[in-house]
Amino acid sequence: MNIKDNYLKNKKNIFFSENKDIQNHREKLMSIFENDRFDKKNNESLKNTNLKNFIDFKYKYLVPEETSVINNNQKNSYSIVSVNGQCASFKDDKIEITKILDEDYNDFSKNNTIENNDHFVNLNSLFLNSGFKIVIKKNNNIKIKISNIVTDNDLTIFQKNNYICEEGSSLNLIEEYENKNNSSSNILNVIKLEKNSQLNHFLIQDNSPNHNLIITTHSSCKKDSTYNQKVYNFSEGYVRNFHYSELIETNSEADLQGIFFLKDNNTSNNKTFVKHLAEDCKSNQVYKGILNDRSKATYFSNTHVDQVAQKTEGYQLSKGILLSDNASYFSKPELKIYADDVKCSHGSTIGPIDENAIFYLRSRGMSKTAATKILISSFINEELSSIDNEQMSEIIQKKLVRYLSKVK
Amino acid sequence: MNSETLNTLDSYSKNKYKYGFVTDIDNEKPKKGLNEDTIKFISSKKNEPDWMLEWRLKAFSKWKKIKEPKWANLNFPQIDYQDIYYYSAPKGFEKKPKDLSEVDPKLIETYNKLGIPLEEQKVLAGVAVDVVFDSVSVATTYKGELEKLGIIFCSIGEAIQKHPDLIKKYLGSVIPAGDHSFSALNSAVFTDGSFVYIPEGVKCPMELSTYFRINAENTGQFERTLIIADKGSYVSYLEGCTAPKRDDNQLHAANVELIALEDAEIKYSTVQNWYPGDEHGKGGIYNFVTKRGLCAGKNSKISWTQVETGSAITWKYPSCILKGDNSIGEFYSVAITNNFQQADTGTKMTHIGKNTKSKIISKGISLGKSQNTYRGEVSFLRKADKARNYTQCDSLLVGNKCGAHTVPYIDSKNNTAVIEHEASTSKINEDQLYYCRQRGLTHEEAVSLIVNGFCKQVLQELPMEFAVEAQKLVSISLEGSVG
Repeated sequence: MNIKDNYLKNKKNIFFSENKDIQNHREKLMSIFENDRFDKKNNESLKNTNLKNFIDFKYKYLVPEETSVINNNQKNSYSIVSVNGQCASFKDDKIEITKILDEDYNDFSKNNTIENNDHFVNLNSLFLNSGFKIVIKKNNNIKIKISNIVTDNDLTIFQKNNYICEEGSSLNLIEEYENKNNSSSNILNVIKLEKNSQLNHFLIQDNSPNHNLIITTHSSCKKDSTYNQKVYNFSEGYVRNFHYSELIETNSEADLQGIFFLKDNNTSNNKTFVKHLAEDCKSNQVYKGILNDRSKATYFSNTHVDQVAQKTEGYQLSKGILLSDNASYFSKPELKIYADDVKCSHGSTIGPIDENAIFYLRSRGMSKTAATKILISSFINEELSSIDNEQMSEIIQKKLVRYLSKVK
Repeated sequence: MNSETLNTLDSYSKNKYKYGFVTDIDNEKPKKGLNEDTIKFISSKKNEPDWMLEWRLKAFSKWKKIKEPKWANLNFPQIDYQDIYYYSAPKGFEKKPKDLSEVDPKLIETYNKLGIPLEEQKVLAGVAVDVVFDSVSVATTYKGELEKLGIIFCSIGEAIQKHPDLIKKYLGSVIPAGDHSFSALNSAVFTDGSFVYIPEGVKCPMELSTYFRINAENTGQFERTLIIADKGSYVSYLEGCTAPKRDDNQLHAANVELIALEDAEIKYSTVQNWYPGDEHGKGGIYNFVTKRGLCAGKNSKISWTQVETGSAITWKYPSCILKGDNSIGEFYSVAITNNFQQADTGTKMTHIGKNTKSKIISKGISLGKSQNTYRGEVSFLRKADKARNYTQCDSLLVGNKCGAHTVPYIDSKNNTAVIEHEASTSKINEDQLYYCRQRGLTHEEAVSLIVNGFCKQVLQELPMEFAVEAQKLVSISLEGSVG
């Protein structure tokens, strides 16, 4: 079914379809897909992606019956179960959870960091059917854990979440995506960090082979704020991790890290984009991937340094290990620099496991499989050991063991 | 940055193009514009056989269907292909001079101004020079000596007449006419260039070299070079360019094809110093070059070295297709952009065979308001077992109005291949500058020294004759400017 039919038929389920401005915006987006010049082949970020599956889809959405927010006040921590992308409203003196509003949509549609040709973000705007907004109030230190659940098969979730960290606040956000049914989620997180705030964002992705997850983050950092993101992708289904970060005021930092573990026929597309728009900012982008069987991955990283962004430090690193003949990895680490007083670098490596290291371990009596496993664990050890949350670290270790059990 | 740095910077970026002069020679041109008649005119002027004309027309029909590539990080007005002369030859040169005394004295003077007197070069440097003035080869020296070894070194026009078998077999075999818009354009209208064939087992005893000049206004130079190194042979080829100062943008779309058979090695070095336009971004050459080498046989090697200081627009990606097992591809590049120059240059290494190796060293220096982009692709295909690549691209920024960009594409489909890529971008280190100044160097000298050090890894790959010229060029490009 084509996009327009899908949209017209399901209007009642789609957010803000009564709002004139938003409708106009959507008309524009729809015309991109319908334009003769709509070019699927020449869009680099679609490498290894079958866009057709995502454009000619069958729209289905169910409004959930129950969602919950549990507040454990003493530890300043909250557990949220988001069902089909929706979450109940909640309010206390530290946080506030509401539905997203028209103005949040409009606010985002004016931002130009995400290119117009990111078709998945456009689809999200078109079919938006769920989402919530979380505000962390001034000077609070909060932990939130969100479990994302999709209730039925064949659902198409288009979700937009807004996070606002007010001045001086600090948030530890853990998001879990573990779905076993045949559905697809297209999630856009819009994050705003006010002065001197901090967000540590963990994403654990572990979906079954038939669940598609498309997740896009857009964060903007004001003065002295820090955004740390860590993505762990153990999914057996398709995952797209595209993360954009804008450093709009001085002395802000963005750190985007990710590890993906792929096997079988799985594909994963990854992108990190940091835009330095002010002086004295730092950024770091590190992605590591392990690819087995016939899996494929792409990683695009981009550091853009504006002319005013002097004293910038921007680093990128991408590393890939190919465990099988049929795996393939494409990486494009890009630097665009318009200021002169900068320190920017990138490094990228792709290769097999070091044979000498295997030889060393084998000569000490280890089987080849055991040696391979040890070397894979050490390859990502730096990232895993930096997790300061014990519970998280345990979860990830378990998943790693599960992945390694399939490695020969 | 201190005020002195700014001053020197300022004077640097105002430094005029030293080789900007025009030699007044009558030119014989067809009408402006690109159509089948133009191509027929070129072909008949060059006395070409029918199959060549057919080949050109085929390429032209392909060109009509292909759009210009738009992905490069370059900004320039639409090229009007109908407003360009596609052929110009100095009058009376259709019958070639047999020795230098027959050459137009004005031409000789031009070379003297450039500091490359043919006579002297011939004697002192031991270099055989095949000079392209506008579009026709003017003089070829040292031919006899090369002939003794069975080496063919002549203009491509001559090769079409005398060695049709080789041309038919290899022309367009590495860069197909329909590859992209500029290769199709070149295939349709190329006028001259060099042809080199090194027979089996021969090591070419001297550096082969060609100097090019664009002279007539509004004449695009479409040069085509084909180098074939047969089994076990070796050749080192030099290419250098300077162009006279003109306000109108001149189009240059060259194609260079290299073929290295089993155990053969080709070393191709370029110093490019076309007119870059004035300090307001007016004029300058548009340089769209396709250079591609095929390591066809086992253990073959192709090495590209380039020093790019000129042209308003540079669009150039010398690349290697590593087809034979154990073959090696190398790319060394220094690109300096000043004023409003824009360069989008890099390489492409395609690993097909087993144990293939490639190495990329790229140094970009941006000054003034220029934009300098490195764009490179390294890909390992499925059968490229144990292939290896190392890439390093560093950028230096001088001044806060320029840009330096790095866009590498890395694609691995083989799990035994190893690929390493690193890049850095920074400005000139203040500590190093301070150290040099403390030891009595002027600011300019200090910067020149540091930049030369920055480029050394690449410059040392150039043959002796070129290394000196290249070092001078680097200093000239920085002169008065360096901060």
